[in-house]
Amino acid sequence: MPKTIAVTGGKGGTGKSTISTLLAIGLSKEYRVLLVDADADCPNLHIILKAKRKLLSEVKQTIPKWDFSKCIKCGKCSQVCKENAIVFVKGKYPIFVKEQCIGCNACRIICPTKAIGKAEQKIGAIYFSEINSLNLSNLHLISSEMLITYEETSPIVNALKKEVSKFKDKYDFVIIDTAAGTHCNVISALLGVDFALAVTEPTPLGAHDLSLILSLTKKLNIPAFVLLNKANMAKSKAEEIKSIATQFNTEIVSEIPYDKKIFEAYSSANLEKMPESLYKPLIDFIKKK
Amino acid sequence: MKTITVSSGKGGVGKSSITAIIALYLARKQNKQIVYADCDVDAPNAHILLNLKEKDFYEKEEIFASEKATLIAEKCIHCRKCVSEDICNFNAISWNKEKNIPEFNKYLCEGCGSCSLICPAKAIVLKKVKNATLRIAKTSYGFPLVTAQLEIGESGSGKIVTEVRKRAEKLAEKNKADLILIDGAPGIGCPVIASIQGTDYIVAVTEPTPAALHDLSRLITLAKYFQAKTGIIINKYDLNLKMTEKIETYAKEQNAPLLAKIPYDERFIKSLVWQDEILLQTLSETYVPDILKAIKSIQSFSI
Repeated sequence: MPKTIAVTGGKGGTGKSTISTLLAIGLSKEYRVLLVDADADCPNLHIILKAKRKLLSEVKQTIPKWDFSKCIKCGKCSQVCKENAIVFVKGKYPIFVKEQCIGCNACRIICPTKAIGKAEQKIGAIYFSEINSLNLSNLHLISSEMLITYEETSPIVNALKKEVSKFKDKYDFVIIDTAAGTHCNVISALLGVDFALAVTEPTPLGAHDLSLILSLTKKLNIPAFVLLNKANMAKSKAEEIKSIATQFNTEIVSEIPYDKKIFEAYSSANLEKMPESLYKPLIDFIKKK
Repeated sequence: MKTITVSSGKGGVGKSSITAIIALYLARKQNKQIVYADCDVDAPNAHILLNLKEKDFYEKEEIFASEKATLIAEKCIHCRKCVSEDICNFNAISWNKEKNIPEFNKYLCEGCGSCSLICPAKAIVLKKVKNATLRIAKTSYGFPLVTAQLEIGESGSGKIVTEVRKRAEKLAEKNKADLILIDGAPGIGCPVIASIQGTDYIVAVTEPTPAALHDLSRLITLAKYFQAKTGIIINKYDLNLKMTEKIETYAKEQNAPLLAKIPYDERFIKSLVWQDEILLQTLSETYVPDILKAIKSIQSFSI
């Protein structure tokens, strides 16, 4: 069984993707690592790793399809749809707004004449990449991507996790990079991991959002540890981060300083060239854990 | 009255800081009546940037924007229809063999009501769930802030954003405001769609990194779908001039004009870390006039 770690943080831009990539690169020197991009809204790891993505599977959603020859224009389907995806005007056939549909079965269940069947719509895709270009043969990437204009991210994250569960046993570590925020897509990514790494920065915003994400991991019963990124940005605020960690019965397991070199490496997609000394304490912690 | 949404795709590129300086400038220098709406309900931060204290909030309201399935156990006739195929598409129901009743995973339940519709004994009902607290504050800059915080472990961010916008609109009407300024969430999913739907103008903030450009392109595609006028700001542009050039080329191709290039300016971090209002004011006077000018001259959109 591999060890599964989620890299999360609440706030955007604290360095989640950078940290999960560095962690994956570092661990892959000794172990087989599967890096998972669960930010289906805006997946970036394939760009950071200059990886060519191969389509693994399409994520599809069941949507209703009306057989108007059976439809009696009762409007019940429109009444039960919580997402306002079915517009009904008296005396007319229902109009379907597919972008609003979340793919539940309510309309099909309620229809008294069985006039509603099933169709499918594509809502996203799952990709697999080998990172051969960087000579990181022990590292594989699996990423999710939501179709633009679709609203619900969590079904794509759930499909991603299903794919991951199919072949995760081939790996020693599974590292999941979550989206920013704290709602369903992040919750779906966090469920079932062994522990979470909350990446934060020493600013009032970082502190605020760290409390949010630690409250969430606590509620989900997931052990969480704090990684303080850009640690030297404001020394006094680092104390505040420490006290939040203590409040949640956890600790700062590693600090990474703000370094222009990291930004440059990140912005030119060359993270693999960063010296390992920079993040070695983190790797050591993960190995021991 | 107009609505402007500041959005970015990628998080942490400077959305909230740029929204804050635009608000400050309009309120302080142009005497505009604005309403500030923090629509990043997962991790709202505007109240911190605007240095608000608990006492500044004068209104508080609990939002019940979603529903979850719950079982009335004594009514259950153990028919297992709710766990049969083609009922719950979200894997939120499992059968508890010991108790011989269904169990609902509240984190996965979308509140669609399919299980409640199939249940012949009416043993499954949908219950409204408190999923956010909405608050309104008066800021020291004169304008009000409408903000909401998603309950930990809950979902429905898009619906909460819609509530925040409704309240902001009400307030704007009452105050005869010129503008609602929305600070959006990262990503392109439900909270972002709820933030940009029906808005008059989108300010898309990005930074010179391949990841930010990729996320920007996803946001621009979304904005086009909603036919919203959009302009781009490259923040910290001088950190990677090559990438900045790439973004400029992309902006041209997409017909989404470049409004401003803001250099890496440590004062942004300082103003944030020390919650320094005077510094924030200085930053607003440094960068906002050009942004507003650009929006007006390029897209003849004036605030």
